[in-house]
Order: sequence, then C-alpha cells, then structure tokens
Amino acid sequence: MKRLKYPLYFSFPAIAVFLLFFITPTIIGVYYSFTDWNINADAIKFIGLDNYVELFKEPRLKQAFINTIIFAAAVTVLQNVTGIALALILNEKLKSRNLLRMIFFMPYVIAPLVIGYIFRAIYHPGHGIVNQFLDLIGLDFMMQDWLNDPKYALFTIIITDIWRVAGFSMVVYLAGLQFIPKDLIESSSIDGANYWSRFRHIVFPLLAPAFTVNVLLAMIGSMKVFEIVMVLTEGGPGYTTEVFYTLIRTTFSSGEMGYATAVNMLLFAFVSLVGVPVLMMMKKREVEM
Amino acid sequence: MRKTKAIYLVLTVMLVTLALSACGGNNKENASPSSNASESAPASSSAANPSVEPKKDPVTLTFLIPNTDDVTPYNTIFAEFQKQTGNKVEVQALPGGDYDNMLKTRFSTGDFPDVFLMQPGTKQYVKLRAEETLTEWSKEAGVWDNVIESIADFQKTPEGLAYGVPFGKTGQMGVFYNKDVFTKAGVEPPKNYADLIEIAKKIKAAGVTPFYEAVKEGWPTQIFYLSGWVSQVDQAIGAEGVQKLNVNQMKLSDIAELKDLFVKAKELKDLDLFQKNALSGTYDEMQNEFGDGKIGMIFMLDGVLPQLEKKFGKEFLTDKVGFFPFPSATDAGTAMITPPNQLMVPSKAKHLEQAKELVKFMISQESINTFYASQPGIPIFKGATSEMYPVQQTVQGFIDAGKSTVNVQNRLTASFLDLGKTLQNFHIDGDIDKAINEMAKNYIKDGNSKRLTGFE
Repeated sequence: MKRLKYPLYFSFPAIAVFLLFFITPTIIGVYYSFTDWNINADAIKFIGLDNYVELFKEPRLKQAFINTIIFAAAVTVLQNVTGIALALILNEKLKSRNLLRMIFFMPYVIAPLVIGYIFRAIYHPGHGIVNQFLDLIGLDFMMQDWLNDPKYALFTIIITDIWRVAGFSMVVYLAGLQFIPKDLIESSSIDGANYWSRFRHIVFPLLAPAFTVNVLLAMIGSMKVFEIVMVLTEGGPGYTTEVFYTLIRTTFSSGEMGYATAVNMLLFAFVSLVGVPVLMMMKKREVEM
Repeated sequence: MRKTKAIYLVLTVMLVTLALSACGGNNKENASPSSNASESAPASSSAANPSVEPKKDPVTLTFLIPNTDDVTPYNTIFAEFQKQTGNKVEVQALPGGDYDNMLKTRFSTGDFPDVFLMQPGTKQYVKLRAEETLTEWSKEAGVWDNVIESIADFQKTPEGLAYGVPFGKTGQMGVFYNKDVFTKAGVEPPKNYADLIEIAKKIKAAGVTPFYEAVKEGWPTQIFYLSGWVSQVDQAIGAEGVQKLNVNQMKLSDIAELKDLFVKAKELKDLDLFQKNALSGTYDEMQNEFGDGKIGMIFMLDGVLPQLEKKFGKEFLTDKVGFFPFPSATDAGTAMITPPNQLMVPSKAKHLEQAKELVKFMISQESINTFYASQPGIPIFKGATSEMYPVQQTVQGFIDAGKSTVNVQNRLTASFLDLGKTLQNFHIDGDIDKAINEMAKNYIKDGNSKRLTGFE
C-alpha cells in the first residue's frame, strides 16, 4: 500500500493557532509569576523568585497542599472503585438498565455550583435531610454539622464530589466492558472460573485502557478542584478545607496577580509531576497485558 | 512549489491577523451599539414629550451600586431627576462581595460608569488611583455647604482634596440587644466590660443564649474587634498611634490592648456565652434568633436594622431593640460610628457634566429627604429630616457628648485583609498569638500590595 504524503506546511495554520492561543499565554503566565504584578500598581517589576519564596513561607499553602492531596487521593480511588462497581452491575441484563445508567450519569451533567447549593441545604445542621434522616432512624448521636465542623468538612466535600463524578467513570468503564470479547468470558466460565476470578484475571486486565483514562482524568480533575469547595465551604471553616484553587482565588481577589499566577504555576508543576509518571507507568502496564 | 509555499505562508499570516483583529474588533463593535442605544432611547422619549424643551440631547447615565444596598431610594431620586432634566439613570447593581474588583476591572478596561457609590473615606482613593481617574470636588460650589463638619473633614485628604461626595447616613457598630431578654433576665446595659460579662451570665442563667456570632460568614466576627478598638485600643494608642500604623511604624501584634481583645473574645467562648454551633452561624439565622428573643445580644452594624424591620416590623425595632457601645474597662465605652458612603464620578465618564449634575441633584435637600424617608439614620446633612430609631438616638447622644470615634478601618489606608477568615480560624483553634500575628502580617501585606509608603 502506498502511503499518501502531505507536505509539512499543511500543519502551519494549526501550529500557528496552537502557538498563539496555547503556548504564548502559558509562557506569559510563567513570566508574570516572576513579577510583582498587582492591581494597585501601574508598573510591573521583575522580582525573580520572590513570589515563590513568599509562597513557601505561607502556612495556608501547606494546608492547601495537604488538603488537595487528601482530596485527590480519596476522590481518585473511590471514584474508580464506585465507577467499576456501577459499570459491572449495569452491564448485566437488567430491566431498568438504561434508566439506571442515566440516573447515575446525571449528577455529572449538573454544574458543580448547582450541586454545591443543593448539598448545602442537604447538609444543613438543623433542617438538612442528612441529619433529619439520622434523627428519624434513631441515629441522632451521629448527627453532625457536616460542613462547618473542621473534623468533617473535607470528608463531606469528598463524598459529595464522588457522588457527582462516579457516573462519569461508570460510562468510561461501560465502554471498556463492551470491548471485552464475549467468547473469553464464556470459555472462562466453562473452565469453571467464578465471578471474582473472572473479574480479576480477565475483565480487569482488559479494562486497562479505560482504567488509565479514568485514573488520570480523576487525578487531574480532583487536583484542580474548585467550584464544589467554593460553594460548599469557601475553604472554611478557617482554612480547614482550603485547596489550591481557593487559595488562588483569594490572592487574585486581593489584587495580587503576580503572586496568584505563581500559585497557579506551582499547581501546574505539581499536576505534571504526579500526572506524567502515573501516565507512563500505566501505559507500560497496558502494553504488557 | 515555492509559489505554493509562499501562498500558505501568506494564508497563515492572514489567519493569525484575522484572529487577532477579531479579538480587538469585538470591543468596538460592542461599544458602538450600546452607545447608540443609550443615545437613541432617551431621544425618542423626549420626542414623545415635546412640552419639555431639551437643553441638550437627553442621555442615559449609568449608576453603579453594590447589590447589598437597597436601591429603592435611589430609584425614587432618579425618577425625579429624569422628570426634571430628561436624563435617564440606569442603575446597575453589582455583587456586593466583588464590587471593588469588578469596579477596578471596569476601570482598567476603560468601561467607566457615570456615577458610582463607594464605601466611605479617603482610603478608597488609593484603591481607585483617585488623582488619575476621579473628579475632584473640594472647590465645587454647592456641594459642601450642608455637610456636617466632622464628615466633611473626614472626606478630605490632608491636602484638602476630596474625590468623593459623602452621601447617606452615618452608621454605628456595637452591641444591639433585645430589650425583652434584658427585662426577663433583669439586667441593664453595662457600665463597663466586666459588667457586660455579668449581664451575659445572667442572661444565660435565664435560659437565653447571651451572644450570637455568625462565624460561618466570617465578616460579622470582625465587629467585636472593630468596636472594641474604638473603646480600648484608641484610648491607648491615640491618633498618633493610628498615624504610625498608617505608615507601618507600629505593628498590630505589638499593641497589648488589641491582643487583649483576642483574650476577651476567647473568654466569651470559654465561658460558653455564644450560641451552640457557632461555626455554622449565619447572618440570616442571627436575625431570626434575635427577633424571636432566643438571643440576648449581637455584635453588629446598623445594616441589620432594615433587615430586622423587614422581618419583624417597625414596632419591634422601635420598642424591642436597644444599643450600647463596646464597654471599656472603666466606662460605657465610645460609640463607633461609620461614615456614609460616597458618590464618585470618574473623570473619564461618558457624560461628565450630566454626571456632576446628578450628584448635585442627589445631595439637594429634597433628594436627601427622599433618601432618609426610606432609609432613616443619623443624617450627615444639616437641616435634613430623618426619623431615627431609638438605637440611633442612643448613638446621636454619644456623638453629642463627644464620645464617638470613626471606625479605625475607615481611618487606616491599608486594610485588615482577610480578618474574617483569621477570626474564623481563631474560633476553631483559639490560638491568640497565631491569630494576632496573622492579622498583623495580612495588614502589612495589604499595605505592601497597595504600594503605600512605609510598607515596601
């Protein structure tokens, strides 16, 4: 077969647009993170690493960093576990399969802000459904001020976010499941494999590409979490649920653009540092299968 | 081949320029229809009303206001303005929390309103870079004649310049109390701070929560410290101390009396004088509980009064709500007053002349009385009629007796940045040193980011 060859300059328009709208702003961003750009001052001065030095002295950054990691780890793991479980159940021949698939996917379509507002009502310490329900079934000792108690606030946000995104993982896994050849499953059951060993040795390995996509998306997405935290707790009470983006928002809204850009760069570096190795590791695993 | 290469290069360049010009061009296209619209709309209305002889073509002025403010009195005044001059005023209410930043953003993109409402005092001048962007009023005839002296003084810089015209009423911060609760517990307003604690304990013994603090919202927690400042910190550091703070020659964390306020706040918490679940307390729930008599006292600003009137009626406000300042160790304390908002006109406003005309119209006797009729308070204009609530008369009494001071936040140029958050955190961990150091650090940070002398 003769391969068609296209001249290289066919790609120039695309490269030009990419350079203009993606690469240039990123480079400008990196530059601004080394300046004292401030809404209150006319001149923008180059100050080297000062923003970053300042940033590492900030106790709120440490808290935001820890919270972001806890959030990302918990959401990534639980979102995928829930997603696989839902996908396996809804891949069976159930009567209301399509309806259920839709119901589980629906939260992902609703804007996180709206979800936040709804859940703020649900978690209300006095007349929220959660506490009312606990009271009703006699578990009133478990009633908590879910969003305002520093002990539970982050945990509550995590649960809410998993409810929101699990449906998305489910859809990706469902797509992955469709690609698993039926005869493999059939022959394994003839060989006497039970459900669990079939899942472990056949289904799960073949789900590897879907797993890579899901884990990576979940990880990157949850490290960039913002809206749901913003609307549920605004990073509060105090700084107990502060994440990277709520920190960026605070610094931006006090007019410290250069500093805020530095926080953003730090997040960018962090996401890349975690994301790239994980991607490479999982890609390697896919090939070996 | 070379020719086609050249063509592609040209195409690429064209595409890029097209993309760029599309970004820039948008502005122009957006601007022109809106300015057309603003000119054409009133033109047609004046055509429909031929009896009024228009001096110039009527215009539509834009007026910005935070959406936390009640626009009713403004709308009434603007309707009258339109009747008299033919000029329409379009009110744009921007989100209160982001008002300053939205304003600054609009300034930096050249999208100037004609008139806007701003928080009080000269500290706003720095934020808005007044000398470049705002109309200066100190020499303007007919603006200052009726403003009471203390407010006129406060409005001007040390050089005597004024970039804003004070408008509205003076406010107050301190302790509002429910008179029914006080009667039930058999207590009177306190004579000093120790007395306040005794009162709170008696109220608690009578089965009512002494204090409510809306910690979840952050900002209400500041009032304890700000009203405490005028009663106990000002006495210690004086005007000279405030000036030192202004140029960063004194540290907030070095002021023992300020630190004492943190000790006092912690004491209230340790004595269990706040409501249960203080961390989830909200401004709205505070009003409800206060109105229902479930709460004895609130550290609050007068902005809560119209809200209470809306919820519990005028009688509640006149008969049941009392006020006293944050008491000092030795006496009933100093009343903390907050200056009125100010009207500002960008020097690059589209309709500068009409905008100035509007400001003068707004501070005319009739307009002022319209304003006070809807938002009664302590007037800042001589000869204005305003019906005052008893709580405001209490403050007027303190003002007349010379026991009142303007909020320190209005006197300082740098702000107590993020104080609400700091105090929220303080409610959780109760670490006094950490809280006051953070407050001091954020104050310097704000001064620094505003590029104030002494902070860099």
